[in-house]
Amino acid sequence: MAYSISDRCNGCGACKLLCPVSAIDGERKELHQINDLRCINCGVCGRICAQEAVFDEKGQLCSRIPRKQWALPVIDPPSCSACSMCVEICGKHALSISMPTFPGDLQVYAILSDQKACVGCGLCDLICPLGAITMEVPS
Amino acid sequence: MIPVRYADIDLSNGQVRDYPLSENVVRMFLGGKGLAAYILYQELAPGIDPLSADNVLILNTTPLTGTGAPCTSRFNASSKNVLTGGIASSNCGGTFGVKLRRAGYDGLIIRGKAPHPCCLMIMDGQITITDAQELWGLNTEETQHHFDRKYGCVVIGPAGENLVRYACAVSGERVLGRCGIGAVMGSKNLKAVVAYGTKSLPINDPKSFRKNVQKWVQGLQKSPTTGSFLPRYGTAFWMNIVNRKHMLPTLNAQQVKHEEAEQISGEYLTENYLTRNSGCVSCPIRCERRVMRDNREIKGPEYETLGLLGANLGITSVDWINEWNYQSDLLGMDTMSMGFTLSLAMEMSQRGIKDFGIDFNQPEAISLAIEKIAHREAPFDELGEGSAWLARKYGTEAFAMQVKGLEMAAYDPRQSQAQGLGYATANRGGCHLGGGYPIYFEALGPIEVNGRTVRGKAALTVLMQNLMDAISTSGYCLFTALGTLPPSLFKFGEKSVIPGLLGKIMLSIPSTHLLWKLMPGLLPINLGGLLPHPSVIRDVTGRKMTIGQFLQMGERVYNMERVFNTREGFDRHQDCLPARLVAEPSEPDQADTVVQIDKMLDTYYHIREWSNNGIPTQNKLKQLEIIA
Repeated sequence: MAYSISDRCNGCGACKLLCPVSAIDGERKELHQINDLRCINCGVCGRICAQEAVFDEKGQLCSRIPRKQWALPVIDPPSCSACSMCVEICGKHALSISMPTFPGDLQVYAILSDQKACVGCGLCDLICPLGAITMEVPS
Repeated sequence: MIPVRYADIDLSNGQVRDYPLSENVVRMFLGGKGLAAYILYQELAPGIDPLSADNVLILNTTPLTGTGAPCTSRFNASSKNVLTGGIASSNCGGTFGVKLRRAGYDGLIIRGKAPHPCCLMIMDGQITITDAQELWGLNTEETQHHFDRKYGCVVIGPAGENLVRYACAVSGERVLGRCGIGAVMGSKNLKAVVAYGTKSLPINDPKSFRKNVQKWVQGLQKSPTTGSFLPRYGTAFWMNIVNRKHMLPTLNAQQVKHEEAEQISGEYLTENYLTRNSGCVSCPIRCERRVMRDNREIKGPEYETLGLLGANLGITSVDWINEWNYQSDLLGMDTMSMGFTLSLAMEMSQRGIKDFGIDFNQPEAISLAIEKIAHREAPFDELGEGSAWLARKYGTEAFAMQVKGLEMAAYDPRQSQAQGLGYATANRGGCHLGGGYPIYFEALGPIEVNGRTVRGKAALTVLMQNLMDAISTSGYCLFTALGTLPPSLFKFGEKSVIPGLLGKIMLSIPSTHLLWKLMPGLLPINLGGLLPHPSVIRDVTGRKMTIGQFLQMGERVYNMERVFNTREGFDRHQDCLPARLVAEPSEPDQADTVVQIDKMLDTYYHIREWSNNGIPTQNKLKQLEIIA
């Protein structure tokens, strides 16, 4: 089961804008729809919806959560091999590999280079083969 | 075993259906080039024209693709070979494979020919064929920019559209370089294949998987080759070594060393051009180079490109090579086949046979030549047919550096007998990797195997060919093999006798030949430290796999491809090398610096249990379960 949107939706487009996998379609001021083939149940649409129009995969109504309280990825550099699995899967292009600090520096790793773009979907955490990523609410 | 799903797509009529694959076939080949060779053998009629609608293109992955296991983002493309008429397979580190699996498919079988330029879109398990008229004629970068950054693409450039026989297909900045896969796509009017989806990929034992992957990544980082040389200097790290050992094809392999090769070496590139290293997705080795061009960071050249567009053309300017490397990627052409085709044309002009207006050590004319090859404009349209065609037309076979029609790599094998045998017997043609890459032991690596002797070489080549095919068909990058050598091997100094001694042991009969004869019984256990590849396959698929079974899978793939070639009429006569390599000593005063192919071929067939004519015996095929 995937997330769904009820007719309380006012078509503001916030969920469509934030969805990390572009699973939401809809015209402005019209009812939006979630593509259940693509939805990854990350909950971002539910957290952002001001109308509380989003139901989760179990049919529970989602509550709005202020963006400051969303968990974002924290990457542990010593555990990271810079394999870029997280960089590639991030639909918001919020992650990248750090630049070398001197010529010949091989100690590079994934970083959250665009924190504003990150929606905290957690795909990077799920995909990391080394367990180098944890999701934490910024203090 | 985890289920695999292949789509069968007919571009002629737009029909899409699932392609049935039995669990047994998947068990035998796992995926990649092996499974693709099996399907091609079933689906193709012998003797078809590779550039006709009758050819079938397979783009496929393995159960490891996209799981995050080390160096497993790679995907495979197979079809009938445009250059050789035998089997073609090509392997690429772009993101397409990962996205294809997440879109719900493990492989695509593409037949027929679209009536007009088209794209194949695989989105969330749904396949559509869309119009690509407006993309036709665009270069590979422009074509990929047309699609969402999230999507995984395989696209062709003008060279593929114009059926240049060594046209490549591009995914991100990585390429399906060899065997003319781009021309096959062009012949089908297929401009791009695009995939995206969010399906999660099954891993049978996630706990064990993570533990094994963590251990393996640490091993790769500790290994001198995969943890230091390759990330630091890229594949061109081998340039100075190859040049020092007189194995660098120079001026169309008229010579085997270049005085200024240092200036196209990995060390020089790193010192003067490198902005940073990079890598394919899921790879902790990160051998890819990044360089600047017009204030923009682009992909830097690999060893093969530096060798074949460098010393091979008499050029030692990285600036020029960077330019041609980028230009070839945009146009969609394999720099390796193009390198030896250009150098053949240059030698023909040098000898007064035919003047194409390009000469050794004259970089100015080459950019224009590359552009004109891709667009098939005179007089360079002939160069788009490849060196074998050119040699047949002008009677220059003796110095066309190709095998079966596919141009060789930037390793001259005249002082690397096993590599010479590998080139001659490789199923897709003159390929260093299909040849088993035994030159790693004969020149490049920490063990010193005498490259000039033929003793023990057939067994070494067989073992390495099978290992390469096992690694490749399961979806790993071949460089993961280099990371398995113990770091202590690299500690011996130049004066130490140990590397030479180890080399002698490697060539002795019991160590390779007998070892191979006893496969897969000899190594029934799964020692992760020795070869981690089978353990991770087990973690992902749930299928028990020993090192012996893993290597036998490689042998099965090798034989399957050979069976395909046999049906196309290939036999011993095609396992040969250009006269330059067997009759012109690379050191003029030392007669043994030629590939002594005749001294090795019989033993090679014997070890492979093939007939004297190079055809797999029924017994062998039964043992490998290729026939019942």
